[in-house]
Amino acid sequence: MSRIGVFICHCGENIGRTVDCAQVAQAMGELPGVVHSVDYKYMCSDPGQALIKQAIKEHNLDGVVVGACSPHMHEKTFRKAAAAAGLNPYLCEMANIREHCSWIHEDRAEATEKAKGLVRFIVEKIKYNRPLSNIFIPVNRRALVIGGGIAGIQAALDIADGGREVILVEKESSIGGHMSQLSETFPTLDCSQCILTPRMVEVAQHPRIKLLAYSEVESVDGYIGNFEVKIRQKARSIDVSKCNGCGECTKNCPNKKIPSEFEQGLGFRTAIYVPFPQAVPNIPVLDRDNCALFKGRAKGVKKQVCGKCATVCGRRAIDFDQQDSFITEKVGAIIVATGYQLYWIGKEQESEILHGYGEYGYGTIPDVIDGLQFERLASASGPTGGKILRPSDGKEPKKIVFLQCIGSRDRAKGMEYCSKICCMYVAKHTMLYHHKVHDGKAIVFYMDIRAGGKGYDEFVRRAIEESHALYLRGRVSSLTRNGDTIRVQGVDTLSGEPVSIDADMVVLATAMRPQPGITSLAQKLSVSYDLHGFLNEAHPKLRPVETNTAGIFVAGACQAPRDIPDSVAMASATASKVLGLFSNEQLEREPLIARVDRQTCTGCFHCERVCPYGAVERFEVKDRKGNLIKVIAEVNQGVCQGCGTCQATCPSKSIELDGFTDEQIFAAVNAL
Amino acid sequence: MEELRELAKKLLQEKQVNAVVGYECDRRGVRPAFVDDPAGCDRLVFDHRCVQNLPAYLSPRRTNVAGLGRLAVVVKQCDARAVAGLIRESQLKRENLVLIGVRCGGVAANPNESRELGAETLALRCYGCSGTETAMADYVVGEPKTVPAAGGDRDARLAEIEKMSPEERLALWKEWLSRCTRCHACRQVCPMCFCERCVAEKTQPNWIESSPHIQGNFSWNVTRALHLAGRCVDCGECERACPAQIPLGLLNRKLAKIMSARYGFAVTDDPSTPAPIGSYRLDDGQEFIL
Ligand SMILES: Cc1cc2nc3c(=O)[nH]c(=O)nc-3n(C[C@H](O)[C@H](O)[C@H](O)COP(=O)(O)OP(=O)(O)OC[C@H]3O[C@@H](n4cnc5c(N)ncnc54)[C@H](O)[C@@H]3O)c2cc1C
Ligand code: SF4
Ligand code: SF4
Repeated sequence: MSRIGVFICHCGENIGRTVDCAQVAQAMGELPGVVHSVDYKYMCSDPGQALIKQAIKEHNLDGVVVGACSPHMHEKTFRKAAAAAGLNPYLCEMANIREHCSWIHEDRAEATEKAKGLVRFIVEKIKYNRPLSNIFIPVNRRALVIGGGIAGIQAALDIADGGREVILVEKESSIGGHMSQLSETFPTLDCSQCILTPRMVEVAQHPRIKLLAYSEVESVDGYIGNFEVKIRQKARSIDVSKCNGCGECTKNCPNKKIPSEFEQGLGFRTAIYVPFPQAVPNIPVLDRDNCALFKGRAKGVKKQVCGKCATVCGRRAIDFDQQDSFITEKVGAIIVATGYQLYWIGKEQESEILHGYGEYGYGTIPDVIDGLQFERLASASGPTGGKILRPSDGKEPKKIVFLQCIGSRDRAKGMEYCSKICCMYVAKHTMLYHHKVHDGKAIVFYMDIRAGGKGYDEFVRRAIEESHALYLRGRVSSLTRNGDTIRVQGVDTLSGEPVSIDADMVVLATAMRPQPGITSLAQKLSVSYDLHGFLNEAHPKLRPVETNTAGIFVAGACQAPRDIPDSVAMASATASKVLGLFSNEQLEREPLIARVDRQTCTGCFHCERVCPYGAVERFEVKDRKGNLIKVIAEVNQGVCQGCGTCQATCPSKSIELDGFTDEQIFAAVNAL
Repeated sequence: MEELRELAKKLLQEKQVNAVVGYECDRRGVRPAFVDDPAGCDRLVFDHRCVQNLPAYLSPRRTNVAGLGRLAVVVKQCDARAVAGLIRESQLKRENLVLIGVRCGGVAANPNESRELGAETLALRCYGCSGTETAMADYVVGEPKTVPAAGGDRDARLAEIEKMSPEERLALWKEWLSRCTRCHACRQVCPMCFCERCVAEKTQPNWIESSPHIQGNFSWNVTRALHLAGRCVDCGECERACPAQIPLGLLNRKLAKIMSARYGFAVTDDPSTPAPIGSYRLDDGQEFIL
């Protein structure tokens, strides 16, 4: 016969108001197997817990049922209390008489009856509880960071400084991400490169960071603590071990008129190139699509065309026949920091939900540029040496119109969200413009100014008050060419007047979108994403840098539009999560997971098909001589999340969740 | 018939298989035959009395059959759906099996009445069947045949029951199911009932009351039918095997219709078609999720 103790909590007035707790306790005391039953104002308080501990000892209890709030809230609390008194924590269960009863009912008598039913349910269930012990899973204490923007760099450095090895995978030939393209950064106007490059160099020199630039994640297997990641190292056409970054090849490449991605198409690069002088690693990459030699090969020309770079390379590092190579790394945690791209207003869009801006000429007007292009114009190392000049004719624009919320907050264009950073960088742009072109006029069309953040609103005020930017609240309905200016037609909604301006240049603050290819990466990682492709966090408030897949974290602009301070803060948060995970050699987890009855499993693998976490594996049962008897299901303890889907599906009832076995559920249901 | 016998002989002589599973005929009618000797191949027959679903013997749980070694099995088009089902659910490997596809002119609803096959005597499952061999077959035997025209609407009975009120339906099923003696013949004959231990035999807890009482009978028969939703191959063997003559086929048929209406799933002899359990489409109905 069981010796169960029942403890009914009033939760102050929360339960007590609607449920007669004393009556429930009394009724439970009469159930067979219950030897002790009391009610108390706050079971979770110290004296409440003491009541439980004392009763376990005094009445020699072998089961504890707490009728209180949701187990989500306090199951851990009460299990710890039970354990402290020497009872196996899994012999303590909660019945939810708050969310499931008092909060949703009004009639006291009926609610009290229901509360009795709910507690009785658990009392009957607990008679079949077995003592369980926690599971330990080995942890491979190395981390993978995907994306080498500021977020990825920060996360990698924090983890490496914390003493753990990091593999940093960057798809471009250099790390740095978008921050390396920025001129100066709000809200302090410090030079972006000046604060970023030291961190990039630190990554390159860190003994615990393995940097894999020009690489991408091919596949991901495994689970928290034990991921196996296959990485594709794309062919650079250069033997990295030989190259010393002297730059002779790039100097001698005859193909010099290729629009530079780094300069946002405003400058040129060669076919073999380093994207920018401070690149890390400082090793060129050969762009095979634009290289004369590869074009010749593609055409089937017998004689080798060009090959200049190989001739001038003193270290014979150029390898035209290099192939993509693959490496496999074992890691315990993964941080995704793949950042963003800017929305493009053109006609062709990569997704059906997106639409371009025909009213702004679909991106065909030369002096209508985007924010990143402006950053390059304003950058001292940019294509104009930091002078603000028009792309069309190289003249200095005397009147620039900035348009905010291009794509953002615009359901018709497919992005209803706010890109968060544009209000700030437009203000920054007006200041940079004012500093460089004193007689220039900056006019900003905005919907609202969203400048929440330390020093942020002050920054916008400075743009208006000290840099004399003219802020007009309203939208622009069309941009058209008018001689060598752009006719901007819009409305100032505060005065109600239509506005028409002939601008020398227009800068669009286009929406932030997740990187291309993010959804396929997310699928490899089993991480969920929203309609737009931004990765989903596990909980928007309480678990903002975790994902729903244990061991995988998100940092920076791949999760939502973020500025640098936010991205860095997130990155450090992920690093602290990872270091926490790595603080023990083994991961301890609750044993409430599925278990297969090897005797009766028929190996139909319905469980494998329904398991949302891919936790079911195949196991070969062999006799002593090693002959295969049958192939059956086995649950990977590290992956199973205890959802119970397999248990409900298995036709022969051969897979059960510990803590929620068929016997427990059966007994509980019979008690109703 | 000769073609079938010759093929079986050849397969056995060339040791391609250890035994051939087919049909033979004695004075009590047609029954399954296991031939492991080339000389015995002359016993093999195939005609409209060959109703049995032979792949039912392929479940790995039938250790005495599995013990015979590599098998060749005679399959009608409908039987092949069971082979596909067993492969889909990892009970069989296609490469371990030789399938002799027979061209079939339909089978009799009641094989013990050796009448000619016609609209009235045709088994319900043959209504609308083409009788051609299965695409899975390794060998095909027999001349092309025509299945007699259907003797009416296959689902007339089902439609009648669907029209009843829930109370009337319950009363009807109560009457039928009260006859169940829990002999489990329906399970034994089913090619898709291959569990090591059937849920009906689980005692901790005893989900399904084991005595032949109406309550347990309901649990058993409803569980059996539901476990076959999207898996039943429509061979009609359960109903034929039931000594209490309970129209179990009605339950299976109703489920098949629901599977088709809700999930667009129809039972097929293509093993690569995903099983409805554990596969999903983005447009699956989900109105039951609150
Ligand atoms: C015009 C403009 C001006 C801005 N000005 C400021 C400012 O003044 N102050 C400020 O705080 N913020 C500013 N920002 C915002 C700032 O750019 C971002 O906050 C910051 O760059 C986000 O960093 P990140 O590392 O998350 O992403 P990113 O910088 O986008 O870096 C992501 C990195 O991941 C790599 N990557 C992507 N996909 C993969 C993959 N599948 N595998 C491997 N690698 C991958 C990319 O190549 C890239 O290197 C500005 C933004 C814009 C558009
Ligand atoms: S569903 Fe059940 S019988 Fe089928 S493989 Fe899984 S545990 Fe085994
Ligand atoms: S309990 Fe859920 S997560 Fe665990 S094996 Fe079963 S279906 Fe997979």
